[in-house]
Amino acid sequence: MPSRRYTPTHGDAGLQPERTELAWGRTTMSMTIAAVVFLRWMPHHGWFVGTLVATSIVTAMAIGSTRKRRFHRAIHGINQEAITPATTSIAALSASVVVLAGLGIFTVLLLPLHP
Amino acid sequence: MEDLKSRSGGGRTGLSERILGGGTEPDPRFTLANERTFLAWIRTSLALLAGGVAVEAFMADLFGPELRKAISVLLLMLALLIGGGAFFRWLNVERSIRRQTPLPLPWIAPVLAIGGALVAAVLVVFVLARPL
Repeated sequence: MPSRRYTPTHGDAGLQPERTELAWGRTTMSMTIAAVVFLRWMPHHGWFVGTLVATSIVTAMAIGSTRKRRFHRAIHGINQEAITPATTSIAALSASVVVLAGLGIFTVLLLPLHP
Repeated sequence: MEDLKSRSGGGRTGLSERILGGGTEPDPRFTLANERTFLAWIRTSLALLAGGVAVEAFMADLFGPELRKAISVLLLMLALLIGGGAFFRWLNVERSIRRQTPLPLPWIAPVLAIGGALVAAVLVVFVLARPL
């Protein structure tokens, strides 16, 4: 039975849409691993660490949920010879990492250690 | 040279239109390659972030509290700089490929090298100064 899901095709021998999609996938995994590592802080620094875990999980889920749209955008871009850069995703992801690092510095410097 | 891709503004909407400015539409492969490079920088930043957290959480038996805090904050600050810098790097490269000017130098590369060397130097001093 043929699949009912429609996946557009492209003629790019360099497989750029796939490679870009995989790069986003790896980034989602890195973000999930960061969330797990943050969990390790919870016994030391208390519930505030939940904000770091939540931020990384929400970011990972946001990337995951827009995965198909991003893949189709890349394929259409290759086919049309013009692509809209993923400016919003890129700005949001960068902001998320900056916020996570900022919250991490706050946690190390200002939150008391639980024995 | 053929003027195939000179559809100015054709592939830009919203935020992209506002921050990317003028120029002509580049080959979409360049835009995708730039996107992947940005993601590689972000993953570098996330690795530094996880490293900073791990030093604080797992190294209690090895380092004293002050050294642990110093290495952790150093790694987290590096993660912040690389994570934020990755966006500006992406933006500058995207602008430059749209205007067909030479690519800008990646200033986050020396930041990463110097920061990494600093962390390594702190660890070397710690190992040498540690009483046997």
